Amino acid sequence: MDVLSLLHAGAHPGLTAFFSLHYLGLFLPAAVILFSLTPKKGKKYTLLLLSLGFYWLISGVLIGYLAASVAVLWGCGLWMNSLQKKRDIAVKAAEKPDRKAIKKKYNGYCRLIMGLAVAAHIALILVLKYSGFFLTNVNALFGTGFAIPEYLKPLGLSFFILQSVSYLVDVYRQTIPADSNPLRLLLFVSFFPQIVEGPICRYSQTAQQLWEVQPIRYENLTAGLQRILWGLMKKLVVADRLNPFVEELFTHHAGYPGWLSLLGAVLYTVQLYMDFSGSMDAVCGTAQIFGITMPENFRRPFFSKSISEFWNRWHITLGTWFRDYIFYPVTMSGPMKKLTGSARKKLGNHFGPLLAGSVALLCVWFSNGLWHGAAWHYIFFGLYHFVLILLGNCFAPYLKKANERLGFTPENKPFRVFQMLRTSALVVFGELIFRAENLAQAGGMLKAIFTNFGPLRGCYSTLKTALEASGCDVLDLLIVAVAVCIVLVVSILQEKGVEIRGSLNRKPTALRWAVWYALILFILIFGAYGVGYIPVDPMYANF
Amino acid sequence: MNELLEILNDIQPGVDFENETHLIDNHLLDSLSIISLVAELEDTFDMTIPAVEIIPDNFNSAEAMMEMIQRLQED
Repeated sequence: MDVLSLLHAGAHPGLTAFFSLHYLGLFLPAAVILFSLTPKKGKKYTLLLLSLGFYWLISGVLIGYLAASVAVLWGCGLWMNSLQKKRDIAVKAAEKPDRKAIKKKYNGYCRLIMGLAVAAHIALILVLKYSGFFLTNVNALFGTGFAIPEYLKPLGLSFFILQSVSYLVDVYRQTIPADSNPLRLLLFVSFFPQIVEGPICRYSQTAQQLWEVQPIRYENLTAGLQRILWGLMKKLVVADRLNPFVEELFTHHAGYPGWLSLLGAVLYTVQLYMDFSGSMDAVCGTAQIFGITMPENFRRPFFSKSISEFWNRWHITLGTWFRDYIFYPVTMSGPMKKLTGSARKKLGNHFGPLLAGSVALLCVWFSNGLWHGAAWHYIFFGLYHFVLILLGNCFAPYLKKANERLGFTPENKPFRVFQMLRTSALVVFGELIFRAENLAQAGGMLKAIFTNFGPLRGCYSTLKTALEASGCDVLDLLIVAVAVCIVLVVSILQEKGVEIRGSLNRKPTALRWAVWYALILFILIFGAYGVGYIPVDPMYANF
Repeated sequence: MNELLEILNDIQPGVDFENETHLIDNHLLDSLSIISLVAELEDTFDMTIPAVEIIPDNFNSAEAMMEMIQRLQED
């Protein structure tokens, strides 16, 4: 019955959970076997069929949106490419004084095509994801009675739309050639491990290696499976085990003192990191099995010394997307350049350019908040980080001078640890806003933290009460603490440049297997699955 | 070249722009300086610097900047 329901198109959104039995036990092994049985020349087509089959199983007819997007990429890419070729020929044949005008004319056409294609993609996501939110606010603000539409939105929409927009802009900028092969473009957008939660790949990063995919090699298979196992530990032992307790602390925060709201925010931050980075381990591990290198989305973010650095290490592909397609274009736009020039004369070398940079930064963080979801608390989450980064930029030169005078150099280890803890604390408050159901809940929890923190006397029994209410106990927290310590030690070693899997592979076979078996046993014994646990969908799949 | 050095010294005084070849890599020019610099260069040299040209290789030395300016002026 289960297999039959799997075969029913669009009826199996559960397949999106990378750590479900359906994905790890059925789809992935079937994909590896099918791929291995295909002759070398046909492997890319098998990978494409597997990707389309995967998306069809989770989205059914909504796969049409993805197909339409790729059709637009293919057509508009080739159209821009032909105009760029015509432009180059015309420029070559023209006298020097006329060249600028010719370029302007053809570049204008290309900009129009790119602009329309990008607008179509943005319009699609606005309608499917944000129209309900927009109309709810209009109704509330003006007392109108617009019906709130409820569209079915395909899973991974926010991810593949950004990937498609990057392709269009890159072809327009001529940093990549337009692809004449629609199947290669389709595989680039639909590759099954990445379609649900990213990473948001650029055409130059994955399209060609996907199309030139090679037979599975033993070392890639084992390395990929090891990476998936590591992600499985993060997800099952930490994220899913924490889920009921975090849910309890957020839902019933009013009944608990402020310190439990703070604990809820800290544990949610841990849960989100383990869930999302664990899923990325599954994505990169799956891709590695097929010999594909995906861009990394995390680089030990909690070692960041500032909020700016944090966003260079957390959801990296989203951050670089916003940098390349929103921050730079806004900063380098005509009006912003004029603003920079005049502001620099009035406000000086620091605050002058900061003004234009801040406008671009506001656009980035408003979009970042909205991208995560159609709700005000997501927008506030974005604006919270905007304010933190803006303050950091404003005071950077003064703080630098003060730190130098006080001897707080970048080499000063206690100061570095202080900076990391400060950054993590700021992130935790942001994640509280992010996780809350709405702004009222976030406000209530923040108020409790700052005005009703205690009483700390009898805190152990309060903690036990909250744990019991969520169906957890102290042992759950201890297991989570052990797993977090393991991840922390591994992260410290990675931060010091130790290539852990490489050095482990050089150890004797017995030791190597002991380590991997210990990890498997740890997951089997302490993972949150089976009776009494509700499977938790990947947290980023809904964004 | 003198015009370029004048702009650079105005935006970020106290740096040896004539000889330094790692202005970006050594954090001597930060992102805010680049924002100012692009606006000034476009004004002074009558050309447009597109976003794709904002890469470290084009801004690591005065010489690299001059090469980019000349290339974009010819375009």
